[in-house]
Amino acid sequence: MSPFHMTPLSFEQRYGGDWNELEQLLKVAFGQSAWQSQKVERDQLGARLAHLYRCSCEHLAIARARAYPSYLTERLDDLTQRAHQLIYRQRSWGLDALRTLLLIGIPQQVRAHAQHVWLALAAFGGPLLAMGLLTYFDPTLILSLLDAYTVQNFTEMYGAGADSIGRTRHADTDWQMFGFYIMNNIGIAFQCFASGLFLGLGSLFFLSFNGALIGAVAGYLTERGLADNFYAFVVTHSAFELPAIVLSGAAGLQLGHALLAPGRRTRIHALREAAREAIVIVYGVTAMLLIAAALEAFWSSSRWVPPTVKYSVGAVCWVLVAGYLLWQGRPQRHARAR
Amino acid sequence: MPDARLDTLVHAETPEGLQLALRPAGLAPRAYALLLDWIIRIIVFSVAAGFLARIGGIGMGVYLIFYFLLEWFYPVAFELTTSGATPGKRMLNLRVIMDNGLPITPGASLVRNLLRVADFMPLAFGFGIVSMLWRSDFKRLGDLAAGTLVVYRSRTPGPVRLPDVAPLQPVVDLANDAQAAVVSLAARASRLTAERVEELASLVPESVLPNGVNAAHSKSQRAFGLARWLVGHRPG
Repeated sequence: MSPFHMTPLSFEQRYGGDWNELEQLLKVAFGQSAWQSQKVERDQLGARLAHLYRCSCEHLAIARARAYPSYLTERLDDLTQRAHQLIYRQRSWGLDALRTLLLIGIPQQVRAHAQHVWLALAAFGGPLLAMGLLTYFDPTLILSLLDAYTVQNFTEMYGAGADSIGRTRHADTDWQMFGFYIMNNIGIAFQCFASGLFLGLGSLFFLSFNGALIGAVAGYLTERGLADNFYAFVVTHSAFELPAIVLSGAAGLQLGHALLAPGRRTRIHALREAAREAIVIVYGVTAMLLIAAALEAFWSSSRWVPPTVKYSVGAVCWVLVAGYLLWQGRPQRHARAR
Repeated sequence: MPDARLDTLVHAETPEGLQLALRPAGLAPRAYALLLDWIIRIIVFSVAAGFLARIGGIGMGVYLIFYFLLEWFYPVAFELTTSGATPGKRMLNLRVIMDNGLPITPGASLVRNLLRVADFMPLAFGFGIVSMLWRSDFKRLGDLAAGTLVVYRSRTPGPVRLPDVAPLQPVVDLANDAQAAVVSLAARASRLTAERVEELASLVPESVLPNGVNAAHSKSQRAFGLARWLVGHRPG
């Protein structure tokens, strides 16, 4: 054998130092060990890591191609994997990404899936209107969805009595309700989205059910002559809440659609692509429901605001939300012909 | 590379053109991890609740928000750290990554954790369990949609010492994989009983093994000697 013949042993002797150094730097980068290398400066860590990572990739490929002993390839494999995880870690957590998402990503994604949004709107709005009208003409129908005790609670809440909303509530109750709205409403929206995995049927069910429920309550309270209190209460926060529920359902329908009609992809592949796009809408839904919860707890419930002001602010909010979803983030029309 | 049918390894290709071997974790360790996380959450939550209950209304509001965050975002927050695992998963040496070997992205983490609701249906994680048992990479529905994989965090292998015998020069040219097989046997020797090593060494064809220094050398000792030579040790 020639003296230059590389054996596993000489391979290890020659490059083992690099591997040990990479090991050490990885520990530093993962915060498991303090900085103690004399070879490079602290601010050179990234560059040195990248270099050593490329080396270990190369060494691993060589070791595998030459069928070096498994203890050697396993060690290199492990080292390379950990470095790989570190080097390709997503680091863009800045406000820039969030801004782009809010200003462009979310509304664009909503418009790109207009068909799902319309379907979700129909599944939500249809039962809402139908149940609203039905309960308006036959108030006993509400008992098919809610028990008598809950109905009575609603009546008292929006009635003129002392226990009605806003009259006896203090600041700390506002906070309590804020927490409740966040937990409850965002939970419902997440459920609407997740159940879309069952061919979209889950989303359709939750949309219709929630629509029917809201319609029934609205129809019932209107019939009982409590319309003023009720609509003044809900007009502002519903501008964020109702579109958010519809959008979460639309995001769920995207998942179901991908599974039903994957096109020229496998179902799993189609589902993954759909989920990657739908989750952007879920970000928007979460933000809208946070706004809705804050409004519902601190603004809608305040009795000192006259109904006319609430209606005006509510109208502005509806226009803002509609404008945001319909026009925000469209590409600029530039390079107009001169 | 081992026969794909014999192993559950998932091979992911890196941008450098390397195949990384990922070992997906099955139902049992993931269920334990879930249980541990659940216990941790209950402890954290009851401590917080005991504290917040004294404050009154605002405390109640914070308590509900805290409950919401813990319920939905506890796994997301931990999966996006460098360890890529919730405390429960970390205790069981697991980690969540993308199924192409890359670290998990925020979007994917959110998808897999929101879709846990779907995995939970119809009851007690029914669909999730069926999906995990069905697939060789043990993905639940949320993992399928997010393109994520729960894998074992690789344990750093310790240094390996081959048995200290005199290197023996090969009598025939061995192919690369045959060389690797002989060396693997020697490397595993310290973790096996002497009888088992002898048994495994008996699988090596006699024609391949060099003669020992004296005839009394057992087959395993001669295989070790060959392995030491193949790795690069030379007599003297």
